[in-house]
Amino acid sequence: MTFKDMFKKTTYISVEEETEQDRGSGDGQEPAVPEGMWQKCPGCGELVYSEDLEENLSVCPKCGYHVRIGARERIEMVLDPDTFVEWDTGIENGDPLGFHGYEDKVKQLQRMTGLDEAVITGTGKIGRRDVVIGVCDTAFLMGSMGHVVGEKITRAVERATKQKKPVILFSCSGGARMQEGIVSLMQMAKTSAALKKHSDAGLLYISVLTDPTTGGVTASFAMLGDIILAEPGALIGFAGPRVIKQTIGQDLPEGFQRSEFLLEHGLIDNVVTRQNLKRILARLLRLHTRTKQTPELYAKVMDELEEYKNRQLWESPDEFFLHNEESEMIPAGSAEEGKQRLKNDLQNYSAWDRVQISRRAERPTAVDYMKRLFTHFYELHGDRAFRDDRSIVGGVAMFGHQPVTVIGQQKGHNTKENIMRNFGMPYPEGYRKALRLMKEAEKFKRPIICFVDTPGAFCGIEAEERGQGEAIARNLAEMSAITVPILTIMIGEGGSGGALAMAVSNEVWMMENATYTVLSPEGFASILWKDSKRADEAATVMKMTASDLRRLGIIETIVPEKEPITQETMEDAAMFIKEKLLSFLQDYMIKKEDDIVELRYHRFRDF
Amino acid sequence: MFHKILIANRGEIAVRIIRACRELGIKTVAVYSEADREALHTQLADESICIGPAPSKDSYLNMEQIISATVITKADAIHPGFGFLSENAKFAAMCEKCNIKFIGPSSEVIGRMGNKSEARKTMQAAGIPVVPGSEEPVLLAEEAKKLADSIGYPVIVKASSGGGGKGMRIVEKEEDFLSCFHTAQQESVNAFGDNAMYLEKYIIAPRHIEFQILADKYGSVIHLGERDCSIQRRCQKMIEESPSSVIDEDLRKRMGSAAVLAAKAAGYESAGTVEFLLDKSGEFYFMEMNTRIQVEHPVTEMVSGLDLVKEQIRIAQGETLSYRQEDIRLSGHAMECRINAENPAKNFMPCPGTVKRFHIPGGNGVRIDTAVYQDYEIPPYYDSMILKVIVHDKTRTEAIRKMETALGEIIIDGVDTNLDFLYEIISHEKFIAGDISTHFIQDYFAM
Repeated sequence: MTFKDMFKKTTYISVEEETEQDRGSGDGQEPAVPEGMWQKCPGCGELVYSEDLEENLSVCPKCGYHVRIGARERIEMVLDPDTFVEWDTGIENGDPLGFHGYEDKVKQLQRMTGLDEAVITGTGKIGRRDVVIGVCDTAFLMGSMGHVVGEKITRAVERATKQKKPVILFSCSGGARMQEGIVSLMQMAKTSAALKKHSDAGLLYISVLTDPTTGGVTASFAMLGDIILAEPGALIGFAGPRVIKQTIGQDLPEGFQRSEFLLEHGLIDNVVTRQNLKRILARLLRLHTRTKQTPELYAKVMDELEEYKNRQLWESPDEFFLHNEESEMIPAGSAEEGKQRLKNDLQNYSAWDRVQISRRAERPTAVDYMKRLFTHFYELHGDRAFRDDRSIVGGVAMFGHQPVTVIGQQKGHNTKENIMRNFGMPYPEGYRKALRLMKEAEKFKRPIICFVDTPGAFCGIEAEERGQGEAIARNLAEMSAITVPILTIMIGEGGSGGALAMAVSNEVWMMENATYTVLSPEGFASILWKDSKRADEAATVMKMTASDLRRLGIIETIVPEKEPITQETMEDAAMFIKEKLLSFLQDYMIKKEDDIVELRYHRFRDF
Repeated sequence: MFHKILIANRGEIAVRIIRACRELGIKTVAVYSEADREALHTQLADESICIGPAPSKDSYLNMEQIISATVITKADAIHPGFGFLSENAKFAAMCEKCNIKFIGPSSEVIGRMGNKSEARKTMQAAGIPVVPGSEEPVLLAEEAKKLADSIGYPVIVKASSGGGGKGMRIVEKEEDFLSCFHTAQQESVNAFGDNAMYLEKYIIAPRHIEFQILADKYGSVIHLGERDCSIQRRCQKMIEESPSSVIDEDLRKRMGSAAVLAAKAAGYESAGTVEFLLDKSGEFYFMEMNTRIQVEHPVTEMVSGLDLVKEQIRIAQGETLSYRQEDIRLSGHAMECRINAENPAKNFMPCPGTVKRFHIPGGNGVRIDTAVYQDYEIPPYYDSMILKVIVHDKTRTEAIRKMETALGEIIIDGVDTNLDFLYEIISHEKFIAGDISTHFIQDYFAM
C-alpha cells in the first residue's frame, strides 16, 4: 500500500524540473564533490574515499588491491623519517638514436612529475640501519630503463659496495627504454655486473618487485636479490602477458605472472603487503647484520632467548598460521590419547617400537622445534627455478644475538597439513631450495641448523623428471664444502638419501626415538627376505636407532625424550638442544672456515 | 537560510525532521534503501532518492551515495538524524569538503567526542568530574590489571571504539580481571577491529542522567534540563523522563552548568547531550557526549516547549540562539516509552513483519512519533524501534497514569512488541516510587 498521492504536500519537485533560478544566488557555494575526493579502485572497481586510500598506504580498504605509488611516496613509507639523502640527480640524458621528440618528452615529464628520471636513488635508514635505496617510478615513461636509470642504479650499487652497505631496490618498470635502443639493453648488463661485485663483497641486496616489473628489468637487477620480495598481485614477468598470448595463441591461466604465481613457482622469497613491508625489511636487515661473535656475547644467549620467549616474533603468516590453526583442529584428547599410548610402552622400546614412534603424527615437527629454539624467524621460499616445495621449510632466524639459517623437513600433524607438506617427502626443488638457503647462509657467515624428518625423498615421475638423484648428489657435494658450521638434528624419520641430503654436517644429533636408515625396514625386509612383514626383525638388524648409530659413530649426540614427546611435552628436549646448540656454536664459530670444511670432510672420509 | 535539506536517515526520525523542515519552509529530500520504497519518510518528503540495497552498509551508511544524492538534488544541508552516519566524523568531513552543511557539530568535534579517552581528557581539563579510570587506552592485560587494582573493584572494561555493550565487561573481583579483559578485548577486535580498551570504576546502581544542550556557532550555550534514562536493558534505553525524581534545583543547576561547560570545552555547536552517571550520594561523573539529536529528545521538547530539530536547523544556518538560559522555563513532567517490534519472551528477538491492525492514542499531552501505518511492512534490516509515545502532564504521577492509558490504547497487530513489558515496568511499585537505577530491569525483570 502506498500513500503517495493521498498526502497533502505543499510541493512536488522532481530533479529534472529544478532550474538554476531555484537555487538563488549562484555564488559558487553550491554543494559539489571536489575532484578526486573518491577514486575507483582498479582492483574491485568500487569507489574508495581518497583519504582512506592514502591513510591505508594506497592499498584499497575494500579489496586489498595495491595501487601503484610514486617513488617519493615509497621512500617516505619505507625509510625512517628525515634520513633520505638523494644521489646522482641531473645526469645528462643521452639520445643515442636521435629519436624524434624524445628529448622534449623527457623534459616535459621532468616538469610534470618533478622527477629527474624514472628512478630515485640515495641513502637512508630503515630501522636505524643504513641502506642504499633505489626506487623506480612508473609515472616516468613507465619506469623504463635507459642510460640514466642504469647509470643511477649502477652508481648507487657501486657506492654501496664501497661503503659496505646493503642495497634495496624497488622495481616497477616496463623494461628497457625503447627510445634509447641498444644502449638501454646494455644497462641490463651494467646493473647486473655492479650487483655481482656488490654480492661478491658479501653484501646484502633485497629486491622488492612492485606492479609492474617486466622485460629488461626483470631480466637484470630485479631478479638478482639475495632476497626477493613482491607486493601482492604485482605483474612480474619477462615477456608481457599480451605478447605471450599473441605469440602462443592461448588464453593464460588466472593469476599468471602475478606475485603469488611467482611465489608458488619458487621464483621469489615471499609476498609482502605494503603495511608489513617496512617492518619486514627492518627485520631482514637485522638478520643479515654480522656481529663479531665473542664468548661474552654467547654468555648472554640464554638470557636473550628467555627474554624473547613467548613473544610473537614469527614472520611467516601464511605458513605458520595455517600450521597453528590446523593443529587446533586435532580433536581435543588426541594428544592425550597419544601420550597414553606411548606411555604404555615407555619402557624397553624395541627398534621396531622406535620406528613406529618416530612416525607418530603427535611428534613435534621441524617447525615446532624452530619455534622453541629461535626467534625472529622469517621464512624464505623457493628454489628460484621451478617451484616452492612446502615439504621443506627454511629461513633466517636469531639464536640469541646470533643470526642463523634454519631448514627443516616438515611433516604435518594431520592429513590436511600432510597433503600440503607432501608427508615430509621433498621434491628435487625442495633440496635445491635448501641448498640455495645454505649458500645464502655461507655468504652471510651464518651457521646452518637442519632438521631431518622424512620417510625419504619423494618417489614419483615428476621427481625423476626434475632430477631427484642429481638434487641429492648436488647437496652432498656442495654441503661438504660449505664454510660455515652445519648442524643436523634428526627429529623423526631419517629416510635414506632424502635425509642425508640435509645431513652432510659437522655434527648430527638425534632424538632418542628418531631413526636414520639406508632404507625403510619394510623395504629392507622385502629386498633381502622377500617379506615386508618381517620389518620388525629388519629394524633390529639394520641398526637404525639413536644408540646404535652413536655406537657406529654416525651421530654425535642423543637428545633424551623423557616422556612421550608431543608439542606439549617437548619443552625439556628443546632446552637440552638449546644448551647443546649454544656450546656447539661457541665451539664452531671461532674456528677458521678451512677448519670447518676440513673437519666435516674427515667426519665422512672415515667411514 | 537553507533551501533544501537531505535527510540521511529513515523511520520516525526522518519523518520528524521532514515535518520540522516543512514548518520552516525548507524543502526536503528523503533517501531510501530498496527495502524502504514504501516507507513513510520516502512518501512524505518533497523528493525521494534511492541510495542502494537494503543492508545499511550499502544504503544508509553508504557515504558516497548520500553525498552524490545531495549534490544531484542540490540540497544545501544534510540532517543525519541519529544512528547511521550521525556521529561519523569522516562523513561530516566529507560534507564540509563538498560544501554541504552537516547539521551537527564540526567533524573535528565529532571526532574528538567520539574518541572516549580524548573526550575524557577534554572534560578533565575543563574541571568536569569524570569516573576514575584509565587516561590512555590500554592494550596489555597485565598493565590493565595494575590500573584496575589501583582504582579498586568493581571496575568496568570497555572497548575504546565500543558501543551497545559490545566489548564491555564488569569485573567484580580481582581474580576475574584477566579473563574478563581478554574476552572483552577479543570481542572488540572481532566487532571493531580495535584492541584498545579502557577501564573505569564501576559505579553501583547509578542513574543515567543526561542534559540536553543547545549551542550556537558563536559560543553561546544553554541547557534544557535533564532526562533520566535509567530504565535500560543491556545499555539500551527503554523509558526516559524529565525531570528526574532525584534532582533538586541545586543539583540541576550544578549539573546543568557542568553540561554547559562541557559543551564549551568541546567547542560544540548544534543540539547535543552530555551524559552523566549519578551515584547514590549525589556525586555525578561525565560519561560521554552525544553529538547528535537523540531518540528521547521529545521528552525535553515537552517540558521546555522548544522544537529541538528546528533549533538545530536554525543553528546550522548560522543563527544565534534565540533563548538565554534564564528564558528557559521547564514545566510539568514528560515521559517517553520506546515501542520495539521484538519479542520479550524470546530474549527480545526482533520481530519484523506486516502491521495488520494499527491504532494509536491521542488526546491532551499525548504525542506519537512513528513511521508505521496500517499494512506497513516492517523490514528486517534496521533497528526494531517503531514508535515512541511521549506524554506530558503536571506531575510524575499523572504522567505515569497518562502513559498507562496511552500504552493501553495502542494496538499493533501482526508483529510482536514490547508494549506489555513497558506496561509492566511503569506499573511497578518501585518505578512509581521513583526508586530506579540502571539496574532496574535486571533487578526486577530478570529473564
